[in-house]
Amino acid sequence: MEFATMMGILGDGFVLTAEIFVVTLVGSLPLGVLVALARMSRFKPLALVARLYISILRGTPLMLQLMAIMYGPYYLLGLQMGTDWKFYSCAIGFILNYAAYFGEIYRSGIQSIPRGQYEAANVLGYTRAQTFMKIVLPQVIKRILPAMGNEIITLVKDTSLAFVLGIMEMFTAAKALAAREVSMVPYAIAALIYWVFCLIIEMVLNRVEKRLAYYHD
Amino acid sequence: MTQPVVSLEHARKSFGGNEVLKDLSLTVNRGDVLAVIGPSGGGKSTLLRCLTLLETLDDGDLSYGGLRVAESMEGRARYGDKATIAQAKTRFGLVFQSFNLFPHYTTLKNVADPLVAVQKIPKAAAEERARELLAKMGLAGKEAMVPCELSGGQQQRVAIARALAMNPDVLFFDEPTSALDPELTREVLRVIRELAEERMTMVIVTHEMAFARDVADRIIFMDGGRVVEQGAAAELINNPQEERTRTFLANYQQGE
Repeated sequence: MEFATMMGILGDGFVLTAEIFVVTLVGSLPLGVLVALARMSRFKPLALVARLYISILRGTPLMLQLMAIMYGPYYLLGLQMGTDWKFYSCAIGFILNYAAYFGEIYRSGIQSIPRGQYEAANVLGYTRAQTFMKIVLPQVIKRILPAMGNEIITLVKDTSLAFVLGIMEMFTAAKALAAREVSMVPYAIAALIYWVFCLIIEMVLNRVEKRLAYYHD
Repeated sequence: MTQPVVSLEHARKSFGGNEVLKDLSLTVNRGDVLAVIGPSGGGKSTLLRCLTLLETLDDGDLSYGGLRVAESMEGRARYGDKATIAQAKTRFGLVFQSFNLFPHYTTLKNVADPLVAVQKIPKAAAEERARELLAKMGLAGKEAMVPCELSGGQQQRVAIARALAMNPDVLFFDEPTSALDPELTREVLRVIRELAEERMTMVIVTHEMAFARDVADRIIFMDGGRVVEQGAAAELINNPQEERTRTFLANYQQGE
């Protein structure tokens, strides 16, 4: 097989990888906020549900979760899902899983903000929403950035788990190519692309970190 | 007769089974500079936290000017609605022991942002007022700095400017110099003294006895959740009537 053909197949795979990556972030970054707020809720049943959610999603393999979502509707309810379901179940699985992790990171950040910040804002007359948006959130973002970076980079590589659903993302493509060509080269190229992708993310995170370095507390 | 700026009557507050304020009453009139002294755990901070609505009273009446914030009903303090509480917060300012500036804002924004966010003053006007107050606090030229670039004394003066910007009727200080070394303490006490000379109404919880004597008109000695003794500042420090006050001041002077 021509090198160009191989790169084309891996390139198509990478597009799917990037799609899973973006869709997961778009879904799980905001969903994580809800998870964190629920987990910290003073309404005990809600906090308990959030704890259970986090515990299950962090405590079972993502691969298993993906399978459960993919085949659950058929085995549990006898539903025949369309061909699109493969990608949807992948997106749902990743989003739910990453929201659990992000939620815990947000919570750690929110709870690390000293009480005095809330009290100062309260006495000055800031509303609760203003206190959160203007005072707490910007400080939380700075504090959780390293942990978020870790998780986002993990996500790049976790996208390869989509192979269990038969999605032709880059890892699945590399695996198929390697089998057909009896060669390590497709794996090596895929590895390089993953690494470069992560490198770019690292650079972006570094820039954000530098921009927020104008103060410390 | 004019209304007192702050009026607290028969205040009670417990944490768990521990009664921290026991039937405490306090009146602050316009232009008063009141110092609150007493041993740690005597209820001074709790008093300020209740006055600034960071804690709620178990029982008692609390008014700011004509605004009734809490009212004793059937042995419990009933607080006013959200609008009343919000209005009350415009009447006082609080300066914390640990400054509690917003670390991600410049000094200018620390002072100006509450004006914009809470009082809905246009940004340009808010910043002008912030600049004036920072200059008054001896911080001209430091507008663009963030709190971590300032000394503790400078940070506390920014905090005082932030509280003053809201144009409160009364300013509360919770041990404003306890986190500062003697040199920085002096610069903070100097600006408080200047405010006293301008007849800013203030309630100052402090361990600086000499300062309390010099700056305050009136001193309250608190212990065990009660006002043990109160009187004209020099009188109370130089000639305390109660045994408990005498012991406290004697221990204090020995420690100095």
